[in-house]
Parts: sequence; structure tokens; C-alpha cells
Amino acid sequence: KSKTAPRTMADATCTSEFCNAGWSEVLTHMSPYGYANFGIAFGLGLSVVGAAWGIWLTGSSLVGAAVKAPRIRSKNLISVIFCEATAIYGVIMAIILANKVKKPDEATYFLDEDWDFPGFYYAGYGMFSAGLSVGLTNIASGVSVGIAGSSCAIADAQDPSLFVKILIVEIFASALGIFGIIVGIIQSNACTFPIAPLE
Amino acid sequence: MTTPAPQSDAGNLSTFNILHGFTEALVRGMRSSFMKDSDYHHMTQCDTLDDFRLNMTETDYSESVADIPNLTPSGLQEAALEKMVTEFKYLRTQAVEPLGQFLDFITYEYMIENVMLLLKGTLSGRDINELIAQCHPLGMFKESTMRSVPTFEPGPRGYDDLYQTVLVDTPVGPYFAQFLQDSAVHGGSRNVLEEVEIEIIKSSLIKYWIEDFAAYCSKLGGETATIMGDLLKVRADTNAINITLNSFGTPLNEPGMRFSDRKRLYPAVGHLYPAGTSMLVDVGDEDELGRVLELFPQYSSIWGVHAGGGSEKSIDDAFYERDVQQLELAFEGQMHFGVFYAFVKLKEQEIRNLVWISECILQGQKDEINKFVPVFSQHAPWRKSGGRR
Repeated sequence: KSKTAPRTMADATCTSEFCNAGWSEVLTHMSPYGYANFGIAFGLGLSVVGAAWGIWLTGSSLVGAAVKAPRIRSKNLISVIFCEATAIYGVIMAIILANKVKKPDEATYFLDEDWDFPGFYYAGYGMFSAGLSVGLTNIASGVSVGIAGSSCAIADAQDPSLFVKILIVEIFASALGIFGIIVGIIQSNACTFPIAPLE
Repeated sequence: MTTPAPQSDAGNLSTFNILHGFTEALVRGMRSSFMKDSDYHHMTQCDTLDDFRLNMTETDYSESVADIPNLTPSGLQEAALEKMVTEFKYLRTQAVEPLGQFLDFITYEYMIENVMLLLKGTLSGRDINELIAQCHPLGMFKESTMRSVPTFEPGPRGYDDLYQTVLVDTPVGPYFAQFLQDSAVHGGSRNVLEEVEIEIIKSSLIKYWIEDFAAYCSKLGGETATIMGDLLKVRADTNAINITLNSFGTPLNEPGMRFSDRKRLYPAVGHLYPAGTSMLVDVGDEDELGRVLELFPQYSSIWGVHAGGGSEKSIDDAFYERDVQQLELAFEGQMHFGVFYAFVKLKEQEIRNLVWISECILQGQKDEINKFVPVFSQHAPWRKSGGRR
């Protein structure tokens, strides 16, 4: 059948077997393995972006303030450690998720009809959103710990009694990252990739 | 106008530290080098300059005064200025654009001062080496350029030649060029006395500098534009008021000169611009000036100090007090460039304070000794009493 130029929207539907019927078909035909692994990548990558952002924000101020007040050097590394913690949350999440991704026992080209498709899709979507939960919250947490840490170093150089008070601000900021990993773990808890067809 | 716009802006709260985090933390560390209330108290109690020097060794200036066995007020000023300049140069070498250009702007003011010093000295026939020794260290340019200034000959083309041969390569060259352009447009034959001429040149150069600086800061945007905009507006207004006040009793105050010459000296930034400055053009004596300033609440109180008789405080002191209050506020917020400008100006104020105290001790005038404006003082009138330190 030759394809003529479509004249209305209804004519524009592609009828070849390689065309998609719409967005739903595009999204559901993306493999859950792809979703899960992207979730791992986002979780780890975005967490590290947040941690790195926070570290250079606070580190540059720490180095500068320590020129005139060298005593602040060791205490203010706590701010850097708080930022690093957000990266660790990303790594924890990534390891948990990576361990859940399992390949089927038998290597077949098409999946069996009895395959646990609901569980399959649940696992893919669940891991993707767990990764995003952790990654995006850790960016926010890392940046805010960094800015607060920068002010903490500068204030500590002027008046040592301010250090502990500003540290409390940083503790609240790093709690944001903890929220992310808690929700991420809850989301990914029930996700298991099926490895064999249902009996 | 003359300086090209910055390539990038200063950055906001989350990106400022990429380029400027280190330098900003440096200057904030230097805040602890300002003298405290207790230091000022000890120093005002001194009876001789040796006691004074002893007290100085306990402050951040200990290394500066260690080399000077016999302290004099001028020696003290030189040593303290040297220390400030060393710290500034350290900041300048660590600075990245656009902070580098910003710090350069701060030095242009001192370059203008130095150029005017060399010019005035040449006109009164003083030795060039003596003049160079007196130049402000922050505003030095190339030695060869400074030594070429005495080639200036007063005359119709004197200033043009000076610009073409000497000043065109210096950073203040564009301001001089603008001054020449404006005066060629407005006044062909200048039949004014030489000293008025020099004052006009200096005020014009400062005016162009303030306008250029304000334009640069507003292009930087963000916190820097807000804070520096305010500081420079206040600076421009101080200049406008001082120009008007100092012109009373000089040929600049004649009605013919006011519109043609004095008006051109008022900067085009500031709270007084444009309505206030157009009113200031017509002002002929102090009463009229007072009436104009009544309309602007932030200046009416300062004017009140001057109008109420100058025995307690002069108008300069009132301006300094207001300046110190505003510059201290520039230290409040983080991640902006205003803190660098505030550091230089507050250090200058501190040096003025130290020289004042040492002069009073030297001349034995202990009752005048407390007439200085301390920086970051807990007893400042704008701070609530009972603040913890």
C-alpha cells in the first residue's frame, strides 16, 4: 500500500507495524531494566553532583578564612563531611538498587507468557523513582549544606562561639538528604525483578 | 561608558564561591584585624607616643610598628597605609575577573588623587621625586608615566598634550578624555584662576569615576549591584554637597559660573540626582543649601550638625559617621563584592582614627582625643547597647 500524504489528523495515523500507537506505547515499551538502571545512574550521579557542589562551596570559604584564623581548619571540616554524607546516601541507594537488578535464569529472546509482568514493571518504575528521590533531594541538601558551611567557616573565624550554632543549621540541611534515602528505600523495598516465569 | 561590561556577573548565593569564595573569605578574615573598642580605649589613655606604640604592638599592627623606633603621626600613617596596601595587593593577586576589575576600580580613585597631586606639584614647581614619594601607594602607575607628568605646561593646549602624551595609557585616561571633551563642548575660553581649574579637573575626574563604577556595579547585578549602588549613591551625594559647600566664597559660586561650571561637577548618580542637584545649582549660600537639604531626610540631619555650630562635630565627621554605618552594613550579607570596597574604606577610616589619636597625644590635647569614629564598635549610636561580642 503506497503511503499518500495525510490530509486530516485521522489520516496521519501510521499503520506500519513499527510505529507506536501513542505515548503510552512508547513509555510502556521501554524496558523496566532500562528504567531501573537509569534510576541507579540518576541516584548516584545527582547525589554526587549535590555533594560536590556543597564541598566546593564550603571548601573555598574554609581555605580563605583559615588564612587569618588557622584554628578553624580542623573543626570546619565537619561541614565538608556533611556534604560528603549526601554522596554516601547516593552510593548506598545505588548499591541496594543494583543488587535488585537480576537477569532471567534462562536466556530467551521473548519473555514467556507466564512472566510476572506486573512485578516486572513495578520493579522498573519503583527503582527509577527511588533513584530520582535520592538524587534530587541530595542536590538540594548538598547545596544548602555548602552555603551554610561557607558562612559557618567565615563566622567561626571571627567568633568561635558561633560555630556550634551555625552547625545546627547545617544539620537541618543535611536532614533533607536523609528524607530522600528513607523514601527511596521504602519505594524500592518491594521491587524485585522476576527471574523465572510464574508456575 | 568607558569600561567594558563585565564578562560574567558576580554569581548568586550558590555560584559565587566558584570564582570568588577564597578571596571573599580572605577579606572577611581581615575583618578581625580592625581595632576593637578596648584597643581604642587603651590608646586614648596613653600619655606619650611610646606608650601608644606599646599598645599598637598588641594589635594587628604589631609588625608594622616594630620597624619604627620613634613613632610620629606621619610615620604611623605611612606604616598603617603600607599594611593596608599589602593586604589589598594580596587580594588583588588572588582575584579573578570580574572581581579583578572591581578591585581596580577601587584603585582608580587613588590614581586620580595622585595625578592631581603631580599636576599641582608641577605647577608650583616642586621636585618630582618628592611628589612621587607623597603619592598614595594604591594609586601608583608606571614610574615612567609619573615622571612624564612634569612636562605639562599650562596653556590652551596644555591639558590636551598631557592627555595625549602621558595619561592616555593609564586607567584614568578615559576619564581625562571625557573631561577634555566636555570642556571643549562647554567652555572654549576658560578665564578662571588656576587653582579653581585644578579643583574643577579633580571633581570632574571623580565624577566620571563614580559614574563609571556605578554603571559597572549595576551590570554585575545581584547583591553587588544593590549594595554598591547604595554606597556609591551616598558617595556621590557627599561629593555634591561638599562641592557646593566648598564653592562658597570662591569664583565657582558666581551666578554665571554656577550653571556652566559647578553644575557639571555633580555626579549623575545619587539620591540627590536629578532633582536635588538641579536645586543645588542655584544655591548661593549656606542658608539656601540648608533649605535644599531639608527636603532630603537622610541629609537634613547631617546638615543640622553643620548648621548647629561646628564646635562638637564638623560636617566631615557627620559624613564619616554615616559612611561607617553604611560600610559596616556591607559586611552583613555574604556572596557580594561590596565587602571589598567596604574593607578599603573602613581601613582608611581606622588609619584616620589612629593618626588623630597620635596627633592629640603628641600635642597634648586630651580633650579632643575622643573625636574619632571607631569602626565595628559596640558603642556605636546605631547599635543597640548591650550587644554581646
